[in-house]
Amino acid sequence: MSAPGIICLGVNYRTTPVEVRERVAFAESKLSETVREVKNLPGLGEAVIVSTCNRVEIYAAQQEGRVEGHSTLLRYLEEHFALAPAQAEGLVCYRLPAEETARHLFRVVSGLDSMVLGETEIFGQVKAAYKVALEAGATGRDLNKLFQRAFNVGKLVREKTAIQRGSTSVGSVAVELAEKMFGSLKSCRVMLIGAGEMSRVCAQSLVSRGASSVIVSNRSYDKAVELAAEMKGRAMKFDEWEGALHEVDIIISSTSAPHFVIQQEMIERVMKTRRGHPLFLIDIAVPRDIDPAVNEIEDAYLYDIDALSAIAEDGRRERERQLALCEKLIEEQMEKFGLLSGSVAPRGAGMIQSSEASQANA
Amino acid sequence: MAGLVQFSERMSLDRLLLLLATLAFVGGLVHAVWALRRGSWQESRWHWVPMLVGFGLQSAFLYIRGQVHGRCPMTSLFEVFIFIGWSVVLLYFAVGAAYRLSLLGAFTAPVVATMQGLSLLLLEDKVAPKKVPNVWLEMHAALALIAYAAFALACVTGVMYLVQARLLKKHRIAALFHQLPPIHDLALAIRRLALSGFLLLTVALLSAIPLNIPAAKDKLMVIWMVWGLYGVLNFLMWRHAISARLTAWLAVVGFVVPFVSLWLVNAR
Repeated sequence: MSAPGIICLGVNYRTTPVEVRERVAFAESKLSETVREVKNLPGLGEAVIVSTCNRVEIYAAQQEGRVEGHSTLLRYLEEHFALAPAQAEGLVCYRLPAEETARHLFRVVSGLDSMVLGETEIFGQVKAAYKVALEAGATGRDLNKLFQRAFNVGKLVREKTAIQRGSTSVGSVAVELAEKMFGSLKSCRVMLIGAGEMSRVCAQSLVSRGASSVIVSNRSYDKAVELAAEMKGRAMKFDEWEGALHEVDIIISSTSAPHFVIQQEMIERVMKTRRGHPLFLIDIAVPRDIDPAVNEIEDAYLYDIDALSAIAEDGRRERERQLALCEKLIEEQMEKFGLLSGSVAPRGAGMIQSSEASQANA
Repeated sequence: MAGLVQFSERMSLDRLLLLLATLAFVGGLVHAVWALRRGSWQESRWHWVPMLVGFGLQSAFLYIRGQVHGRCPMTSLFEVFIFIGWSVVLLYFAVGAAYRLSLLGAFTAPVVATMQGLSLLLLEDKVAPKKVPNVWLEMHAALALIAYAAFALACVTGVMYLVQARLLKKHRIAALFHQLPPIHDLALAIRRLALSGFLLLTVALLSAIPLNIPAAKDKLMVIWMVWGLYGVLNFLMWRHAISARLTAWLAVVGFVVPFVSLWLVNAR
């Protein structure tokens, strides 16, 4: 059984809307100071604060014989963020006892409690939060043990299951495909033909993974300039993009033209200059911008919006399938670490509204 | 168990080692296929274990044979195939690590296991009489066989390229797609392996000139044909005159030629 005094109080994207969450988000620059403050609250002996865009959670260890930890933390939140009564009313927190805290943390670091199931960023975020608390001297035996175990479980879940495999959004599918073609994207050049929202998302995903340069061409030149500036790229007049096709490795097209903007012959000419290097074409437009026959050309790979969406949907389904396996693994680890007390509280139990808790403990 | 003991008693130690090496490669392949189908294949150093075990057993076989002959164990087609298999695994360790192609082992294992399995089953394994070793001659033969091994690995990498390129073309983003390396890395590996093999074969052929080895015309013709084939392939790759897909196909098909030629040269 885990240390009985460990508790968790938190809000996440499921329980609380963003306008309330942002009100109780801890500033990263002051986290060290804050976590020390929480640790020194009456009745508490250890603390770790996890504050990301999707969740704000306080893990704490109560001193022996103390039971009012959740209320203490809730009061601290209200006071620290100077919440008005109406705001406190809207703050729906979950308060978890020891066993549920361990299970919850294991699920969080494994990406099972994330908005995008199986995402890996949260693992690093929790690790960073723990490091801050450790360096601030806010952790002790109980929380150190719990967090070390959680990191081991997170690694195990990633190793033993395919929960993080595949991409679940059109942007991440585009990145994954590009990486399977070019390896590193560091030397990849991207061209956007049309400045639609979806093509912007795809290009941003590619740039975030290192794509070296972006050319933006749009019928409205001003919009092209605006988007190019946002991507630190180069704008191009709409009648010039054809001449620059040979300069790029990835073409994302999303114009509103009623006919094919990129013809097979155009790409055949381009491929002659690419010396065997692949060319990745993403057609996000409806009706389509790129002649499907382009996919028949050697070393040219064409994906339209349906193909990208289908891959993202497969990725989501695959992760859903892996979920049961992950939960089983976590339960096995809970048992291995002696964290099970025999009864599992139903999910959602322990949910409290800020004002109720304050009254109850008044 | 008793049957196994009887079987091992009937089999010489070196052949038993070779059989175990073949089983290690088959084991590696079975595990890879199982893990891929289950979707649980992960990049891990553990995938090297069956290849390392197989390589150790192959090395032990070659060592014993070397002791018996008092020279490099390349005295028959049987031994030549085993030596090539050993060189393929050795190159796999070099290339797999350089390009992080851990799945290359899953593609290399069946090639080596097939070569060794067929050799054990089909080829005559006569132990040649002891001879005073000719260092230059042995170096020539060893270099030529390592060159063939490089062509074999280029072929294996070519298969991986063709599979990944097809998955990308057909939009089949399944388990194997996630595990196979990027086509850019595979194309680079093919180029380097084909070039290494060609350079090694060139050195091997040049080193044979001062030896004045009496060789039949057809044997020489076949060897120079292999050299010419890979020379042309390397030239076309250097000039970027062919697509990456065609290069991969040539690396795959080109592997058949050296092996048929090897069979012809040694069968006479």
